[in-house]
Amino acid sequence: MHSEKYLLGKTIPRFDAVTKVTGRERYAADYYGDDFLWAGVKRAGIPHARLKGIDIAIAKNIPGVVAVLTHEDVKGTNRYGIIRKDEPVLADSKIHHCGDAVALVLAEDKEALRCAIESITFDYELLPGVFDPEEALKETAIKVHEDSPEGNIIRYVPVETGTPESAFNECDTVIEAVFEVSRQEHAYLETEAGWAYFDKTGQLVIVVATQTPFRDRFEIAPALGLDMEKIRLIVPYLGGAFGGKDGITLQCLLGLAALHSGGRPVKMWWGREESFLASVKRLPARMYYRLGAKNDGTLHALECRLYFDGGAYASLGGEVMTLAAEHAGSAYRIPHVSIKGWCVYTNNPIGGPFRGFGVPQVTAAMEQMVDILALKIRMDPLEIRRKNIVRQGDTNCVGVTLTHSTGAEECLRVLSEHPLWRGKDTWKKSAAPFKTRGVGIACMAHAMGYPPIVPDVANAKIELTEEGKIRVYAGVVDMGQGNASTYLQMAGEILSQDITGMELVLPDTERTLPSGSSSASRTTYTYGNALIKAANTLKMRIFEKILPLIQGSDVNEFILAPDRVIHPPTGKEVSLKEASRFFSESERVCTDTFIMPVVEGMNDVIYMGPHLIYSYGAHLVYVEIDRLTGEAEVKDYLAVTDAGRVINPQVFEQQIQGAIAQGLGYALYEDYMVDEGVHLTPDLATYIIPTSMDIPEMTSIPVETFEESGPFGMKGAGEIAMSGPLPAVANAIYDACGIRIPRSPFTAEKILKALCKLSAIIFAFFISKG
Amino acid sequence: MPAVPTSWSGSDLTSPVRRFAGSLICLERIDELKSIHEADGQIFIGSCVSHTKLMENLLIQKNFPLLIQAVKVLGSPPIRNMGTIGGNICTASPAGDTLPPLHTLGAIVEIRSIDSNRLVPLKGFIKGPGKTALQKSEIVYGVWINTNQDYNVCHYEKVGQRKALAIAIASFAALLKLSESGIIEKALFAWGSVAPVIVTSQEAEKMLIGKPLTAESLKSVVPLVEKAVSPIDDVRASAEYRRMVAGNLLFRLLQYGNHGST
Repeated sequence: MHSEKYLLGKTIPRFDAVTKVTGRERYAADYYGDDFLWAGVKRAGIPHARLKGIDIAIAKNIPGVVAVLTHEDVKGTNRYGIIRKDEPVLADSKIHHCGDAVALVLAEDKEALRCAIESITFDYELLPGVFDPEEALKETAIKVHEDSPEGNIIRYVPVETGTPESAFNECDTVIEAVFEVSRQEHAYLETEAGWAYFDKTGQLVIVVATQTPFRDRFEIAPALGLDMEKIRLIVPYLGGAFGGKDGITLQCLLGLAALHSGGRPVKMWWGREESFLASVKRLPARMYYRLGAKNDGTLHALECRLYFDGGAYASLGGEVMTLAAEHAGSAYRIPHVSIKGWCVYTNNPIGGPFRGFGVPQVTAAMEQMVDILALKIRMDPLEIRRKNIVRQGDTNCVGVTLTHSTGAEECLRVLSEHPLWRGKDTWKKSAAPFKTRGVGIACMAHAMGYPPIVPDVANAKIELTEEGKIRVYAGVVDMGQGNASTYLQMAGEILSQDITGMELVLPDTERTLPSGSSSASRTTYTYGNALIKAANTLKMRIFEKILPLIQGSDVNEFILAPDRVIHPPTGKEVSLKEASRFFSESERVCTDTFIMPVVEGMNDVIYMGPHLIYSYGAHLVYVEIDRLTGEAEVKDYLAVTDAGRVINPQVFEQQIQGAIAQGLGYALYEDYMVDEGVHLTPDLATYIIPTSMDIPEMTSIPVETFEESGPFGMKGAGEIAMSGPLPAVANAIYDACGIRIPRSPFTAEKILKALCKLSAIIFAFFISKG
Repeated sequence: MPAVPTSWSGSDLTSPVRRFAGSLICLERIDELKSIHEADGQIFIGSCVSHTKLMENLLIQKNFPLLIQAVKVLGSPPIRNMGTIGGNICTASPAGDTLPPLHTLGAIVEIRSIDSNRLVPLKGFIKGPGKTALQKSEIVYGVWINTNQDYNVCHYEKVGQRKALAIAIASFAALLKLSESGIIEKALFAWGSVAPVIVTSQEAEKMLIGKPLTAESLKSVVPLVEKAVSPIDDVRASAEYRRMVAGNLLFRLLQYGNHGST
């Protein structure tokens, strides 16, 4: 039906570029109006306690304070949560972590708000807490939620394929290691913000930075005792989210505030410290790995136990750990596998979605295991990967046959031929005094979409406006990744329009259609497929309407061009504006639905069932270690990615580069530290993320397999590159100086201490040899 | 004269101290506090000279490259545009990037009030973290540094958690005079972030005089450095690491080993 390449595969400026760089784009925090109130929260600041009473008397009498609310003012269940409703809007019987909201204040200005929040006190009985996931699993452990049927277990997931028990006996080499990864904070530029009011029809309108507008209504309504149909969410562009706005942040609090504002709009905007204190984090994990192989390097058996610290509330922690379990064997064929994963409650910050969704944790472990194994059997790290990498038609480590595009091997081939791989030995030899250099690689896979039991659906809507413009109603949030712009590019491709001449409606539960979350590397894939169908329908409808006007004989004789329809046989042209006059109101709109294909009949393999379609990557990093300070400097980076066909090379590259930068932060700097539940890195001065000075030149090469099921052949590209940097850097550090640090990030201090220990061992060895 | 806190630029107020409520007197528009000039073999740097201006100044570039090296790694471009040398001194943080170079260069702080004017060596001016010899109603007018610095090697290095916007975990400033044959004739060292105030070690400096600039020579003074420092554990690094690095950074001087002979 469509053959020309109009906008496809081209770097065209993003639709949002100009309004964003000129500061005209309005984010959720940019809403102000007449007579609005500020809403703010009193946070617990203690990790575990029984709440006995809240004293709001002083706060209420502060001039400018309009209302001070506690759990007693919440008319609904006062509980929200995506899978488990375990999180209170305002704490009632207990405090479960330092970031818990205890009271909500509405005030005329920020100063009154601040004074009121500071004046609120509460009575409590401090309870002993639990802060380590393995401790939390012990029978004697303190229970974070006394009413939880499985104690501190949020989710336990076992996966078994083949005969792992006996398979280890068939191995020539078996290696074991334990890895720990840190808690990572998203640190999006835009902290949580929103604006809420009741409109004239009695509908609660919330303008908010969220990745999940449609799903949020299912959480807000019961928690506050409202009718879901009477909640409308409007979502502008987000200033970053990375998973941290997948679900409720301040939506319930805003709704509660609007219920007590006397009809005035309310605004809430968390500062950086509050964002750090209250928001979800990437789950820290301790991972026990055992990997067995044959002498020729064939991977034969894998056993792992994964302990994920879910923090105080379930959020999507159990699901994060489940995706981790599914990816525990990275991108390799391993016939015999036993994976057991636990996600547990602790009194630590809440664990939740973060770009990669559990996969960066296990890839960190597995890709180091592969290098450890390669060293032990004296095989090249690249060769052992090529030997075991999954190809189309292979079965992955959870037993799923990979019937869709599988470009992992191609990624490795491209990497192996790249100058950075070929020139690595020369580069390593030319280190300056006190510097030592190493090169590391890692492979990765990332499943796309929701698991089978949660249908991954998008509903696209496209309109020919009265003005003759093409308007796309995006039901999926654009959190900065540029998917909304890509939708225009896709629709523009089909309808031969320039995206600058098109119109975009951002997610609004009243105007756009439910299309799922902006997450899971599914945003462009699922919505894009639905949109292509809707755009093709609109195209044919335009031709059908014009046909009598032109007195043409066949709709297939028409072609579209910017702003007009052309009929080449007669040379006649009709502007889209004129064409639109022949449409009724309802005819101008075309909608369509797409559901992502899933693995059929294997739902018992893993909780929620396994995924079918994957993106892949192979990364290479050059690292230089300073032997005097231990600092690891990343000097060069190569990411080869199979995310199917690339729709917009620049938007694609931005995703890869962003993920590398975030991944290097995870590898080298980022460690959201908590001591007995108390936050030690509560701000951007103490929580270290990389600056532009810390990020090297990054080369991104897409291998561009063609995913048959994808819109124009594409697959998800948002998360895949997040998993590579940590293990690649770890492997490079080992290559440089022979040390492997069990707990990331690999700070200068850890490296220097490991180097000292190593030189002491070598020294002792030489002494003992005389 | 100020009965309320004075501020050189206010750059520190934009970070966690956002809650600061009260009066501040900003000095940044007083022209004479923004002056850099030479007089009687000394260079005067006004307290309100921004780090960026300091870096760009030809007199400073020519005379005190050590100070330039330090300011280059201070904060980030916006912080260097806003922050001043007076602010860096009066904040009296052991991590202040200009402090180790100013110590080795023997900077003198000029303090003024409405009816007095006094000079205090930087070493005596800073009393502890956040504590200075500044009395009520006094401001730091500027610093004076001798131009006849007798050295031919200068080195500044900061170990931070990242390459920009980093607070020093440890820092090291060194001035060496090397003979043509590579013998150390003079040595001045200062370490930041490894004690409540900037650390110097005359013992170590003296011990190196007359020795060649070799790993062995430097190694011999490491114990003295480790003894001189009294670091703390904090969220950025452990005391142990700071102590290790304070000693290790000496070895960076080896790169200048051929200076005199070429």
